[in-house]
Order: sequence, then C-alpha cells, then structure tokens
Amino acid sequence: MPVALELTGIRKTFDGFVALDDASFAAHWGQVHALLGENGAGKSSLMNIAAGLYAPEAGRMMVDDNPVRLAGPSDAAKHRIGMVHQHFKLVRPFTVAENILLGNPLSHVDGGFRAKLRQMETAIRAMAAELGFEIDPLKRTALLSVAEQQRVEILKVLLAGANILILDEPTAVLTDAESERLLSTVQQLARRGSAVILVTHKMADVKTYADQVTVMRGGRTIKTVDPKQTPAAELVRLTVGEAVTTPKRGTGTPGEVRLAIRDLKSAGSGRQALAGVSLEVRAGEIYGLAGVGGNGQSELANAIMGLPGALEGEMRLEGLGDLKAASTSARREMHIATIPADRYGVALSGALSVAENFGIGQVHTGRYGSAWRLASSTMEADAKAAVASFDVQGVRSIRQKAALLSGGNAQKLVIAREFSKQPKLVLAHSPSRGLDVRASAEVHARLLAARDAGAAVLLISEDLDEVMSLADRIGVMARGRIVAEFGQPAERQAIGQAMVDHA
Amino acid sequence: MPELVPDMNPLALPGAPPSAAATPPGTVPSPDVGPSGVADAGATGGADEGANGVASAVTNEATSGVARTARRVPLASRRFTVEIRQQLAWHWQALILAIAILAGMAISAAILIAAGIAPKDLLNEFVMQTFFDKQNFEAVLFQAAPMIMIGLGASIAFRARFWNLGLEGQMIFGAIAATAISLYEIGPETTRLPLMFAAAASAGLLWALGPALLKLRLSVNEIISTLMLNYLASNFLLHLVYGAWKDTKDNFPHSPQFRAFERLPDVFAGLSSAIPLALFVALLAWWFVDISRAGLYLRFVNANPRMADAVGVPVRKMTLTAVLVSGALAGVAGFVVAAGQEGRLTQSFYTGYGFSGILIAFLARNNPLAASVVAILIAGLFVTGRSLQVFYQIPFSMVQLIQAIIVICVACSDFFIRHRLRPVVGRGA
Amino acid sequence: MDVLLNWLANSPDFAVPYALAALGLILTERSGVLSLGAEGYMLIGALVGVGAQLAFGAAGISLFLAMLAAAVVSLLFALMVITLRVNQVIAGLAIVFFCQGLSSLLGTLLNWTNQAIIGTGAVPLGALADIPLFGHILFHQNIVVYLTVPVFILVTLFINRSTTGLRLRAVGENPQAADAAGLSVGWYRLGAIVAGAALVGLSGAYLSVYSTKLWVAGMTGGRGWIAVGLVIFARWSPWRALAGALLFGCIEALIPQLAAAGVKLPQYFVLMTPYAVTLGVMVWVALAKSGADNEPGALGQPFVREERG
Repeated sequence: MPVALELTGIRKTFDGFVALDDASFAAHWGQVHALLGENGAGKSSLMNIAAGLYAPEAGRMMVDDNPVRLAGPSDAAKHRIGMVHQHFKLVRPFTVAENILLGNPLSHVDGGFRAKLRQMETAIRAMAAELGFEIDPLKRTALLSVAEQQRVEILKVLLAGANILILDEPTAVLTDAESERLLSTVQQLARRGSAVILVTHKMADVKTYADQVTVMRGGRTIKTVDPKQTPAAELVRLTVGEAVTTPKRGTGTPGEVRLAIRDLKSAGSGRQALAGVSLEVRAGEIYGLAGVGGNGQSELANAIMGLPGALEGEMRLEGLGDLKAASTSARREMHIATIPADRYGVALSGALSVAENFGIGQVHTGRYGSAWRLASSTMEADAKAAVASFDVQGVRSIRQKAALLSGGNAQKLVIAREFSKQPKLVLAHSPSRGLDVRASAEVHARLLAARDAGAAVLLISEDLDEVMSLADRIGVMARGRIVAEFGQPAERQAIGQAMVDHA
Repeated sequence: MPELVPDMNPLALPGAPPSAAATPPGTVPSPDVGPSGVADAGATGGADEGANGVASAVTNEATSGVARTARRVPLASRRFTVEIRQQLAWHWQALILAIAILAGMAISAAILIAAGIAPKDLLNEFVMQTFFDKQNFEAVLFQAAPMIMIGLGASIAFRARFWNLGLEGQMIFGAIAATAISLYEIGPETTRLPLMFAAAASAGLLWALGPALLKLRLSVNEIISTLMLNYLASNFLLHLVYGAWKDTKDNFPHSPQFRAFERLPDVFAGLSSAIPLALFVALLAWWFVDISRAGLYLRFVNANPRMADAVGVPVRKMTLTAVLVSGALAGVAGFVVAAGQEGRLTQSFYTGYGFSGILIAFLARNNPLAASVVAILIAGLFVTGRSLQVFYQIPFSMVQLIQAIIVICVACSDFFIRHRLRPVVGRGA
Repeated sequence: MDVLLNWLANSPDFAVPYALAALGLILTERSGVLSLGAEGYMLIGALVGVGAQLAFGAAGISLFLAMLAAAVVSLLFALMVITLRVNQVIAGLAIVFFCQGLSSLLGTLLNWTNQAIIGTGAVPLGALADIPLFGHILFHQNIVVYLTVPVFILVTLFINRSTTGLRLRAVGENPQAADAAGLSVGWYRLGAIVAGAALVGLSGAYLSVYSTKLWVAGMTGGRGWIAVGLVIFARWSPWRALAGALLFGCIEALIPQLAAAGVKLPQYFVLMTPYAVTLGVMVWVALAKSGADNEPGALGQPFVREERG
C-alpha cells in the first residue's frame, strides 16, 4: 500500500527543550493511522511539522513518495495536507462560509466577493450533505457548539482539497456520542481513499477505529503495531513505559456538608453561564463534576475562587457563611485550595521565581516578614522544603523563573502552595490536563490524600476517566446546571447519556 | 494517488501537481523577502502564489535539473525560525542593552553632524563640558533631581501596568500648588517650604486620582485620559501665568518670584538640597519596590493581574497606590523645579519631562536604583541640549529626538533578549 | 443667524483632520495592531505638506508627498511591531516622540516655520454653491472636504465587502486562524500600518496646507491622541468615527464663532474644550458599554507562530 505521508528522523527543540528526537512516522492511503502517546510525548509537535506550522531542525518529509519541505501552512495545503487542530482556528465573528473562504480564496471563480461567498455556501452544503453533517453556512461560528465548530474545521480542510487528514485530539472536547459520530465519519473518509491520521491519547478510540497505531513516548517513536492484534495492556506498556501505579480510590468517610451551592446563577447568557447550579460537597469526599467543556464549568470554578462576576443564589462554605460576599482575607482564612485549569494564566506567574510563586500563598499571614520588610530568606527556605516534599523536579535554583518548569512539575508546585496548610475545601479544575500518566497519578494521589485528611474536594474535569476513577459521587454538568447525579460504582453509559441528553 | 477524494470536492480546487511529474515543489527556495527576511511568521511571499505558478516554475527547473544531475539538491536557502526564550543570562542582557544604547547614540550623533555640528565638538559638548566642567556638572546634578523623581514616578506606575503619561500634568499641578502656598502666604516662614512640598505632592496625587479611578472602575484607557489631563493642566497653567498670577513687576508670563525662604536652599556651595532630597526619595522608592511586602504584590500585579487576583493579591488597591505614588512623585518634581531651578512658576518648565520619564523607566526596566542612574544621564542630555540650543541654534526638540531614537534602539534590542533565532537548514532530498 | 451659518460652514474644515486620522487608525487597528503613533504621523504629514507646497505650489503633489512621508515613517513602526515584536504601546509612543522631535528639527533647519501657504482654498461647486443657506455650507468647501466622504465609502467597502478586507479582519480577530489558513499575518499588518499612516499623514497635511496654511512645531496639538480616543468612542466603526469627527469639528468651529459674536470666555478654558470633550466622551462610552463591541479580538498582541503553550 503506497505511503501517503512519511516523516523520518525528525528533530525539534523549543528553547532547549527537546520535543522530538529522531521521530518517524508513515501513514498509508486508505487507512486510519493513530498516533498514540500520552501528554508531552510529542505527537502534536510532530503533526504540526507535517502541517507546516513548525520547521524541524533535522529530518525528512515525503508526501506520496516525493520529498518535500514545507514553508508554511499554505504549502501543506498545496500538498493536500489538512489539519484539524485541538484548539480550533476559527474567526469567531465570521460566518462558516467566511471562515472557509479565508483559506480557500476561490481564485478560479469569477466575480466579486459576494459571488465567491455564494459559491462557497453552495459548496459547503454539498460537502456537508455528502458527509452527513448538518451545517448552516450562514451562521456565525461563535454561535456554534463545539462539535459543530469541529465539523466546520473538517469541512474547511476537505474543501481545500485535503486527502491527508490530520486530527489532533479530536475527541477531547466531545461527548461519547459525538466522538462516535466523528470517528466513524473519518473512518468513512479513509475507506474512500484518504489517509487519516488520528492523534490521540485515548486507547479505546485507537482500538475501535484505527487500522495502524504508532506509539510515541518522550519525543521518540517507539513502535508501529496493528491495534486490533495487540492487547490493550501491551499498548499501555508501549505508551507509558513501565507500569505506573494508579492510586486506589478506596472510600472516604464523608462528614458534614462543607460546600453548599443552591441555584447559583451568573450574569450573561449562552451555554457558559450558570443557570441555577445546585450541589453539595461533604468533608472527606470527592465530588466529581463531569461534562464536556463549555457548559459552565469555568464559570463555576471562577465563582468559587472568588473572581469578579455578578452572582445570584446561594453559595455557602461551612465555617465562613456566604462565600459570594466573602472578602479576600476571610476567604484565605478558610484554607480553600484551588488548582485552576489555566496553570500559567491563573495559578502561576511564569515570570516570577519558584519561591515567590510558592510564598504568595502565605505572605499575608506575616510568616515571611511584616508589610515593611519581606523576609525573602524564610520564603526561600519554605519553598525549598515544599519543593522537596512535593517532589517538584527541575528546580535548579529556587529563584529561577517558574516558566522553566514542565507542566507536571508546575502543577506540583501549585499543589505544594495550595496544600501547604491543610485545606478544608479543594477545588481542582482539570488538574491533570496536559500531564503525563506519572504526573497525573501523583496529582490524583494528592487529591485522595486530601480527601482522606478530611477535606471536601470538588473535582471538575472533562476527562471522564479521571472523574470515574477518583470521585465518590459524580455530577453531570450541562448548560450551566447539574442535570444528573450518580453514586459509585457508576455506569459510564448512563453518565454519557446524561451529558448528551441535555447537550 | 487515489482520485476519489477530489471527486468529493465540489470546488475542484487545484492542488499539487500529480505525482507523475515527480518534481518536488517543496524544494523551490522560499524567498527570504519579508519585513526583514528573517521571521517565519513574516512573509512567505512565494508560497502565496497560485499552485499553477509554482508548478510551471518547478517544471522548468526540473527539466534542466534532470538533465544535469540525477539527484536534485535544493538551493541553499537558510531560513530562520523565531523561538521565544524563557531566560537569558543577565550579562548577555546587559551586553545587548549596551549595544543598543551605543547604537542609539551613534545615530543621534550622525544626525547632529548632519545638522551642522563638527564631530569633535560633539564629544566635547556631550561628555567633557557636561560631566567634567564643574559648573555644568552642578547644573546636571541640579537637573537630575526632578528627573530622578519623574523617572521613579514613571517606573512605579508602570510596575502596576498603568501607563502614566500624565506626569507632566501632575508636575504642573504640583508646581501650581506650591506656588499657591507662596502666593497666599500660607503658614509661617519656617514651615513654608515643607508646606509647599506637601501641597505639591498632594496636588500631583490628586491629578492622578481621576485617571486611576476611571481605569479601575470603568476600564477607561489611561493613555488617553492621562494625556488629555496633560493638555487641561498646561492650559490651566497658561491661564494662571497670563492672568491672575502674572508678575505685575515685569508683565512676563510667570508668577512673582518666590521669597528666599520659599526656595530650596543649598546644602553647601553649589549643591542644592534638591539632590539629597531626590536621593532620599529614590531610597524610599527602592524600599517600596524591593523590600516591602507591597513590592512583592506589585511584582505579581505586573506579571499577571488576573493571576494575582486569583491568589489573593489586592490588585486594585496596589494599582491605585502605585498610581497615586507616581502622581505624588511627579508633583514633587514640579515643586523641585519651581522652588529650585526656576524660583517661580513659569509657563513651560515641564517640557520634555513626560517622555523622559518613560525613557528612564524603560531603560532602567522599572528598577528604582537603575532609574536614578539613568536619570542623571538624561539630565546630562538636557543640559547639553540647552547649550546646543544656545551655541548651535539646534532646537531643544533635538533632545526629544535623541531620546526617541534611544528608546527605539533599546526596544528593538529587546527582541534579541526575548527570542532566539535558529537557522533551519532542511534537506529536502 | 449669520453666526449659525458660518459655524456650520466652517465645521467640516475642522472635522476633516479628525475624520481622516480616525479612518487611518481604524484601518490599522482592524489588522490587530494598536496604533498610537497618530500624533506623530500627523506632524510629519503637516510638515511635509507645507514643505512641498512651498516648493511646488501644487496641492495634489503636497498631499501625496505628505502621505508618502508618513507611510515611510510608519515602516519603522511596522519593523518594530511586526518583525521585532516590540510592545505596541512603547513603539507607538516612541514613534510619536520621534516624529515630534524630527519634525521640529527639520522645520527649523529647513526654514519652513511660519511660512504662509498660498494656493489652497475653497472650490465652490458651480450652481450648487449658489443655493441659499445650504449652498454655502455644503458646496463651498475645499477639495479634501468633498473627497472625505467618498474616501470613507471606499475604505468601508474595502474592509467589509472584499476578500482582502475579510482577510484583514481575520488577521485582526484571530491571527492564529489566519496563519493556519495560509495568510501572511506580517504582510497584512504591514499593509494596514502603511495605509493607515498615509491617511493620518493626509489629515496632518490638510491641517497645515488647508486649515492653518502654515507650519509651526507641534501644531497638531494633540489631535492625533484625540483621534485615538475617537476610534475607541466609535467602537472601530468608520461611520461612527465620521460622526464623532463631525461632533469635534462643530465644537472646534464654535470657538471662534462665539468670540466673533462677542461672547466673552476665558481664553485658555476655551482651548481646553476638545480635550475635556474627549475625556467626557471616553467616560460616557465606558458607562454605556454593554460589553459587546467591535474591538478586534487580537488588538495589541504580537503574533508568533511557534509560541509553545
């Protein structure tokens, strides 16, 4: 079977960090080829090179057995390579047709702008019908759901003539049902002759839909196997290296209600806004909030963290009272630990030192000197101790910039800061996003330990596996509300159903 | 290559030439044209041409290429990618900064020579006369006092991510307040000067309060609001010195002279007390920014206000404090100029300080001690500028031009600190 | 009555610099580049306009050369913000002070200061200009005033109804998406910066060649900054900017009319009016803000393709 896309000996570094080292990959026409690896393995970087977004430092690329060197994304498009990125590249205020027209100028079509738009609309409808999609080309992309936006991205690359399709973590933002639809559609495309490359960390998707799978780890290609012939355990071993002990959930000892939220509403409209959230988290339990992103999870997290925004309804923390109206200092007294989803946007300051990022958590207590004089030496000593006990790697000097830490270690630093006093309430929002299996396991262990020490843990995550493995009780969030709750052991099907029913 | 997918494409857009041609389009060298021919994210002019254009160019090359060699070697085309750097050792940073400043000075020197100053006179004026002539050096120090305060004011506001372009306006009101204390003879002789100082600081602070609140409460862009207040202040100043406060003795647009006890005394012969005052203020600023707890908070606000808010830093309070301190410093600078250099309220004493403050803060990277040093150098520039005006008829705005050139050079050099250029030599075949 | 007529007839003259400058800024900012250099481009345009008019005497050439000069200066700004990814606020401020210093220096050295301009005046549109009342106001203006509205129409059509305009807007809203679509973010921004600066230079030239008919250092007096505020006030819509410019023109035109009518106002307070109004307008906009506006999504942020999250 002829090779559609082949990469050999690729090397790529970012500011000294080696993302890819001697990576190779070959996809054939008519097949779905999965690129499997955990977070940080280099899969996205490799495919970004194939799509012309990054330039490699060494290595070769061949399209249809011709050597090529891409100067940019439009070069890739000329070679009929199309990539659907994890973070969509859509201009939100534009309509679907305008977005697709952006990259496909229809230079061979006569007429002005209006004529081209009309042509594009017709073409979109035709292609969508072929694929079984329902898309209104005149709708603004800002109003589309995540799954619909993804379909626009797929239409975009197909209308540009792509027959080598790269999909980067496409199911990360979809419900189980939407994922199924998407993956069977791309399987169809492969059967019609295209080469489809599926970048993913989900074993289940690989086993069900892929014809071949290449496993990557640490920037290297490990092996290419047939997923249908290879047992899951073997795939795990290839992906992760050696066995990683996943922490056992056990059972917590739930105590009194710590956090009570009743009918919480936020300003604004749309799926993101809170439309009356009600839930309770008790001490000594992990409440897992499942649901596809964009349904109000960030709003809820922000509300609990106390970020500005108008709120109605009740949010009470035991021992403090009304959490909405609490001042920053009262809030800090209550030892609420927050692990936000956006690490460098909200949890850490990359430009400041590890010591400062750690110390800011407690500096207000006077532990590091008075307002007149900051006792930096005490702060640094404390930070060093925390770094050691929370196993934060890569800290050569406690004064180095926090941005130099890898994802997993940055997360551990956040946890070190937040857990330095025994927290009463823990808010963890997508805590293992972007982390490899080992780091995820460590984070999970910390959450379980906090629960066992009596904290109330609210875990918000789009990763259903994470929720199911950690939570004592599971809630499903959709459209700004809790639509279902489950105890453990919960049925994955039922949870997935609840997500879909209200989508 | 299967043709099934193209059938699906109702637009039938042209793609790469069919594989039968076996010519690798990718090895056509991408032109290094662009805004500087360097950045990857810049121009890829050739690649934007229609596929047909590329194909025909390639076929021509291919036929001749095939005739010559069996294996195509891509033409040497070194391209660069731009990467963001996380950290660069401080000595490299200092070196890059030094080169930038020297480049700026060289360009300025070239302009001055083109404007008619002989090269050897340049060195004489700028270095010898300014720093090694006793009288001029005293003038430089004298000039440095308000310059240091303005530089500190700018730095502190910038640390809170507040573009305080209203330093001149705050300076004006500082001088006006001090003059008011003198004109209305408020307070006994012994405390007159400290009262003027306090009034100046308060006035500057109050003139900065408006834009600060507007930004914090209503998100009004502070660049415009502070600049507009500058214009209001300067017009008000003219209104006073041409009107109610005009000196009736000589009918010039300035206030009556301050009395002897209303002027900043000399510490000893030749050294005005303005200078130790400025140094004291610099120390206070250093304490605020580097020693106190507020300085840590300010660092977090500067790096990422949203994150600072999330971890419990009092962002609004810190921002407001920083801006008010900045205004007060500018007000005191106005007092120093009025009660020190001028001895009265004049109509254009503030010219050039606004941008000087920005320049100082920018070069010193908002560090108070570095800002003090840079301020002295800028003061030297001012003094030289005045003598250039007197002896060579070069307008004083030359100083502004030189400052702008230096800022541009340093800003450009920052690119090399924050980014790394990597040559990418791809080997297509 | 005469006062009212004169006021209305003079307002377009005062409004044109604001209008053209705002249009230029909108064009640049639609590509995602925050342009604070307006005051600088205006000064350069004003200076070169006067110099060219003194040398050649032909208004068309003077205006063209002024636009060219501003465009050339903007190349420096483009180099800084596109290639070298300098903070756009610092770059804009530096350009303004660079232009202030340079224009003042050149004006003095080349002896262009305070030289009166001839050869630019109103062009009455034939029979239309004779219509009572309106004829004098609408059809007795100079050529640039007549051309302003067509220029606005052209630029607006370009931005909203052309493929290139679509791409320009994409570059301003989401440069990552534009880049992935194969557009060169750098080239589009360069084009927008240069074209925008040319328009701002034109507004400056109009000021010196048609309005005041001479050059004095710093003669723009903050109009560039007011134009920046105007663009925010207009929420990046050309027509709202034109309306705002008319408002400012009317206010400025009112001042001499009131003086002529004998109304006594403290001179310097009157001079404060444009700045106070700008401030007031910015506050009003902020108070009335419902949240949704046309601010280009990526305004002010430099674009790096290989940025690693």
